[in-house]
Amino acid sequence: MNGRLVRHSFRSMRRYKLRSAFIMLGSFVGAAALTLVVATGQAAERKVLTTVEQLFGASSIVVMAGGTQLLSGARGNAARLTLDDLEAVSDALPRIEAWDPQQALPNASVRAEGATATARILGASERSEQVWNRGVARGAYFDAPDVARSARVALIGETVAHELFADADPLGAELLIGNVPFRVVGVLERFGTDLHGMDRDDEIVIPISTMMRRVLNVDTIAAAKILVRDPSDVATTAKDVERVLRERHALAAGRPNDFAIISATGVQKMVDKTQRTLALYLPLAAAIVLLVAAIVAATLMLASVNERVSEIGLRRAVGARVEDVQLQFVVETAATMLLGALAGIVAGCILAQLAANRLHLGDVLSWRAALVVLAVSAITGVLAGVVPARRAARLDPATALR
Amino acid sequence: MSMIELHDIRKTYTRPTGETVNAVAGVSLAIERGEFVAITGTSGSGKSTLMNILGLLDRPTVGRYTFDGDNVATLGVREQARFRNARVGFVFQAFHLLPRTSALENVELPLLYSDRKSVDGLGRKALEAVGLGDRMQHTPSELSGGQQQRVAIARALVNEPDLLLADEPTGNLDARSADEVMTILGDLNRSGRTIVLVTHDAAMAAHAQRVVRIENGVLA
Repeated sequence: MNGRLVRHSFRSMRRYKLRSAFIMLGSFVGAAALTLVVATGQAAERKVLTTVEQLFGASSIVVMAGGTQLLSGARGNAARLTLDDLEAVSDALPRIEAWDPQQALPNASVRAEGATATARILGASERSEQVWNRGVARGAYFDAPDVARSARVALIGETVAHELFADADPLGAELLIGNVPFRVVGVLERFGTDLHGMDRDDEIVIPISTMMRRVLNVDTIAAAKILVRDPSDVATTAKDVERVLRERHALAAGRPNDFAIISATGVQKMVDKTQRTLALYLPLAAAIVLLVAAIVAATLMLASVNERVSEIGLRRAVGARVEDVQLQFVVETAATMLLGALAGIVAGCILAQLAANRLHLGDVLSWRAALVVLAVSAITGVLAGVVPARRAARLDPATALR
Repeated sequence: MSMIELHDIRKTYTRPTGETVNAVAGVSLAIERGEFVAITGTSGSGKSTLMNILGLLDRPTVGRYTFDGDNVATLGVREQARFRNARVGFVFQAFHLLPRTSALENVELPLLYSDRKSVDGLGRKALEAVGLGDRMQHTPSELSGGQQQRVAIARALVNEPDLLLADEPTGNLDARSADEVMTILGDLNRSGRTIVLVTHDAAMAAHAQRVVRIENGVLA
């Protein structure tokens, strides 16, 4: 490799500013798109995995009322899931360690001493602390007797505590959910935002019985989470739960479930499949942008070669070998594309971080993503330079100088 | 033994129509080291083809060409490039300077392809030799035609070649600039440089010690 010639070829970017600008623009956009996709893809994957871990853990099963609601719409009254259903499941299956029922009210207005706020109200049992692995930071969780007598006690998230009570101590204070008064007995451990970007500290947890009778006036639950003693039993236990529930709901063979069962392994499979698709197609789409940039670069460089025939002839006359001419045009093309790509990687990282901030994905900057994009850009740059370089090298010097 | 010995050099082209053209049809010529030879002829006489053969930009179809006793007509493509780089300097009618590139960088162009370990200061020295020491950072568009051709001469000299080949070097210049360029060539020859000047202009050829006339591919 001829260092003097390589440096000289780098300087050609300045001689052909417009050409260089167009080539750089192409590789800039391509590299930015690729960086954005790879970096956010990595961060999203991390986020999904930690969220699945947080929500489920390896040894849990979630039962939801309403069957395959997502695909066929709500089933209305046909979809009944009751506390008795879950009691029966729990009694029948000794592999179950614990379970927790759930009812939710997404946007309830709550008040306390003149302050108002909107919060998500969750009804749960005293086992929720164990089953969902989230306890209280201050105060105490409500207990089984509280649930049994439908006590009007509430655990509030930090966001709710701040909105209703500012800096005052919320423990022992009273708040109103709708018109029902509750006493705050604890402040929930911080959670932050979940996968959907929802603030899980903007929540109030009350006993399931209180939720059903005094807040919603229903006799069904929306869902329940079941913990299995041994993670390796999750799949079989999920089948057993399905069998018991079908018996209790008197579903004839061939009729679909009027409930849905989700296990961590199932979610994991779904997430993996989605991830694989995203991990394949998004970078592919971005790589196509880079490919188009390379084709544009090759075309512009071919035009440049045609415009510089006499320069090439002159270089041959003063002693450039065929491979020197090739090297020059490959370096000119690759260096120009690479410079655009470097700027594109920086821009892509910034865009990725902005996107991640909106989607609550945390930090996305990754050396791996940057290096991958840099390597891909370098390779496309060299490939884009090959065709113009060959054209330049084929010129006969005597003819080129005429 | 002369520095350059051409023996019965012929160059035949085949036109796309199939017709063959004898651009050079049997030229024998010897040039001594230190000589200033002008090759004259009308356009189409074969003088440019002869110059290309002398500078190894083109290969004769038939004939022997020895340079300092070495047969150079049969050199491979790489060896030809090395020969042009180290032993020949070219000056063209159209200057062929790189646009938007400083005079110094233009002059240093042959050094990019040289085997020399150190090239420091050679470009500067060559530019000073043609009286452009104060124009090193100027680009061709900032220089007059005569100055541009002097930059091209400096480029031809930067590698200290044995032979300077000038193809109609004054063809694009006004009379004053042409005189300047011919004066420089004359000075170079007086300091020992071997020069072959190709021109159709008898007034320019008169600067040479010896004039060789070529007509229809043969020496007249």
